[in-house]
Amino acid sequence: MAHTIRKPLTDRLLSAWGILVFIYLFLPIAVIVAYSFNNGKVLANFSEFGFNAYANGLDNDVIVATVFTSLQAAVGSAIVATIFGTIGGVALARAKRGVWWAVGLTVVLGATLFTPEIVDGIAFLPWFVTLGVDWGLTPFNDGLVRLIVSHAMFSMAVVTFIIRARMAGMNQQLEEAAADLGANAWQRFRDITLPIAAPGIFAGALMSFTLSLDNTILSSFVQLPGSTPWPVYIFAAVKVALRPEIAAISTLMFLLTLIALGVCALALRKTGGSSTEIIKTMAG
Amino acid sequence: MSERSPISVLAPHSKVERITRRAALAGFGVLGLGALTACGRNTSMAASPATDGELESKLNLYTWGDYDSPDLLEKFRDDFDVLLQVDSYGSNEELIAKLSSSRGTSGYDVVVPTGSQIDRFASHDLLQPLDLSLIPNFSHMDPNFIDQEFDPGNEYTICKAWGTTGFAYRTDVISRTMTSWQDFIDAAQGEASGRTSLLSDPWEVTAITLATLGHSLNTTDEKELAEAKKIILDEIAPNVRAYFGSASTGMIQGSFDLMQSYNGDARQGFNEVDNPEDWEYVFPTPSANLWMDCWAIATGAPHPDAAHEFINFMISPENTMTQIEYIGYPIGVKGTEEKAKEAELDYLNLIFPDQEVLDRLEASIFNEGMAARVDILTEAKRRSGAA
Amino acid sequence: MIPLRNRIFGPAALSFPTWAYVIFFFVIPVAMVFFFSFGYKPDIYTAVATDELSFDRFPEALNPAFVSTFFATLRISLLGTFICLLIALPFAYWIAVKISPARRSLALALVMVPFWTNFLVRTLGWQIILSPTGFFSEGLMALGLTQERIDILYTHTAVQIGVVYNYLPLMILPLFVAIDRSGTKLREASYDLGANKVKTFFKVTLPMAMPGVISGCLLVFIPLNGDYITATVLGGASGSMIGQLIAEQFNSAQNWALGSAMAVVLIASTVVVVGLGFALLKIGQLIAAKANSIPISNGRA
Repeated sequence: MAHTIRKPLTDRLLSAWGILVFIYLFLPIAVIVAYSFNNGKVLANFSEFGFNAYANGLDNDVIVATVFTSLQAAVGSAIVATIFGTIGGVALARAKRGVWWAVGLTVVLGATLFTPEIVDGIAFLPWFVTLGVDWGLTPFNDGLVRLIVSHAMFSMAVVTFIIRARMAGMNQQLEEAAADLGANAWQRFRDITLPIAAPGIFAGALMSFTLSLDNTILSSFVQLPGSTPWPVYIFAAVKVALRPEIAAISTLMFLLTLIALGVCALALRKTGGSSTEIIKTMAG
Repeated sequence: MSERSPISVLAPHSKVERITRRAALAGFGVLGLGALTACGRNTSMAASPATDGELESKLNLYTWGDYDSPDLLEKFRDDFDVLLQVDSYGSNEELIAKLSSSRGTSGYDVVVPTGSQIDRFASHDLLQPLDLSLIPNFSHMDPNFIDQEFDPGNEYTICKAWGTTGFAYRTDVISRTMTSWQDFIDAAQGEASGRTSLLSDPWEVTAITLATLGHSLNTTDEKELAEAKKIILDEIAPNVRAYFGSASTGMIQGSFDLMQSYNGDARQGFNEVDNPEDWEYVFPTPSANLWMDCWAIATGAPHPDAAHEFINFMISPENTMTQIEYIGYPIGVKGTEEKAKEAELDYLNLIFPDQEVLDRLEASIFNEGMAARVDILTEAKRRSGAA
Repeated sequence: MIPLRNRIFGPAALSFPTWAYVIFFFVIPVAMVFFFSFGYKPDIYTAVATDELSFDRFPEALNPAFVSTFFATLRISLLGTFICLLIALPFAYWIAVKISPARRSLALALVMVPFWTNFLVRTLGWQIILSPTGFFSEGLMALGLTQERIDILYTHTAVQIGVVYNYLPLMILPLFVAIDRSGTKLREASYDLGANKVKTFFKVTLPMAMPGVISGCLLVFIPLNGDYITATVLGGASGSMIGQLIAEQFNSAQNWALGSAMAVVLIASTVVVVGLGFALLKIGQLIAAKANSIPISNGRA
């Protein structure tokens, strides 16, 4: 039939909607990238095209230091959250239905997702002061440690739930078979559990890295002078006239993240995972 | 200088929001609210090593966000081979919290409190006296900005930057000539209704009506404050769109026709907007704030020699223009106005007001009327939000 | 007797590190916030004292300014969640059903891209877009779409646009997963049984996507309710949110007792709204199930 060649109206409407949503999603990012080439003094006022903002931004020690702090915190918290989250997720997946500790852990981790971020922030601040000052646990007087610990807390639930979902279908008999063949616990974990969990671990690590890099509210409460992360620096500058350097450095970070993600995706393809799979794992 | 007298550990004033220009600029005081502690009183401050004429290899500066020319800081690093670390805060409260809770072990050398607050710092032993003999450039300071009421004889502080408050308005929207705060109130209710911004600062907002009523801007009289409150809530607040710190951003974005603003911020706006001819800035009668931020050295500063050298460097006449051009406020050094004129900076009248204007300004003071002012601002924000 | 090895590597023991972490870095600090909310601010030099406990902070927290901002915030977050759902549902359907599998991963990756730029920076992008003298406003005027400059920056409309934008991907992803999971077979069966597209969408796809709708709404509503950055950047006096008031108590006023009380009110209200949402959903499902006599439980047919 002739008219089946043309897509039905609903499909075309859906496609149009999809493209509109993509435009909406990318509009402000495009604006920031465009304005990073603003040679003027104030971000919002595009005076002339140029690369001054990049030069000034990279030359500004304070900005570079905050970006570095952010990256350190993101890597650190991704490691911490992934380790604790993986162990927790494996434990939950193996738990018998309705065991108190598994239900309890699920509830508490769920609660961390339920709590508004600002509450986490104000909860951490006095707690870190108590730990660091009153109890003399000096690592907690270190800004970077505070950032890593609090960001990891924030993303641990996400990692745990991803791993649990990933491991839920795992065949327990595989491990038992391995045990029968003489593999010890560590070998079983390394050779069986870990490979099965790997895409989940990867997705979780990626997710906690991103959450940490993006975190503003929590960081603004727990950070200390000398370890200001990049988003908090921007937030403090919001009410002062913003300089184009902020757009320039953000664009650079954006590009770096995209490249890193591309490399990850390639590496993943080699090992046989698909990015759709990863994103599905992440989301649910 | 081994043992200092006992002090109370400070944490900032109850309900006092932010009371300085820079605080309003920085939005919420989100930076560096780390080591505030709720416990421990009557403890002593750790002492600073004595100056020995030998420059230390490090210096820690704790100041308002983006408040020094990066070029100058780098020059200091290079010239004196000092590892300079800069951290920033967003309100005097944060600075007080940081200095008092660490009891002299904050590690910071140079800090920048606001003049009206110096008393709170000095009386709680958070600052150490300056050795002016180590700051020879002090002789270049403008007599107008030394020996202030809050620090007679410059025992603790030296002026870092100063400015005043007024308002900017669109001449194509408000065609009459505006000169006073009363004009501001009238325009807010008239032509600029719904397109007016106020500073998010309790003292500054209250000062608008206190000035028109003819009261002292620093009044603590409950009746006078109540009078001021009524006008703010009924006449100004319903017409206010936002409580907004940065005049330059507001002018560029075009969301406002009438903005209460600090003079240096407005000047930056004039330099940046496409239509400066459509804007006018007013030093309103009868009075307005004269604020001053000051260099000071924290009690327990680990690098006192470098700290003195740094302050000396920052007020040296050959560095003044770099600093003024970057921060957009005068820094209280003699002869800078002439130099700025020679350098042909634009809109200089905005940051160097006439003597006649200077004479009528009143410096803000932190006093017991502050709680009432915070209430006024909170209530005003609510009215504006409901309008 | 379970061998020691098995006990150490048994699931209960394995959960111990995670337990310890959440208790030490979540349960205890949040409990402190609850505890502080019963305290008071003794003098201007101290942020909180808890030697005398009382409920006095709660009436103090529920002052008129707080209450009006509270309801304004609730409106922004409920409306924001709803708009996100409206935008994301057809979009996720489009990606899951209409896009060829080969391009699907690219489309999904693109949805994630906003996450890789900073939250605050994206919001600043909106500040530039929405400014009356900005290119967007001028462009609309040049196209003749509006006569006057758009003038919504520093209003609650701007905040609404900003929050919908910032939390939209969190709605799209779970919806996509749910629709994707429901598979094409059921839909084809529905067509075979004579149902048209619209009917199939509402009778088959949507009920199947319900878990995604629920988790999407939770993922959007909860952080949105506590957000204050979007409002700080885009909102004026009429667009302020509750998070700003709480942050002010901690950062500027240094009154931790009052700030904690406000935070407790925020948590409680979030829980209540989410609970109400679930209750409504259950009722709706029961009614729908009765009407259609299709057994539905937990959104799965």
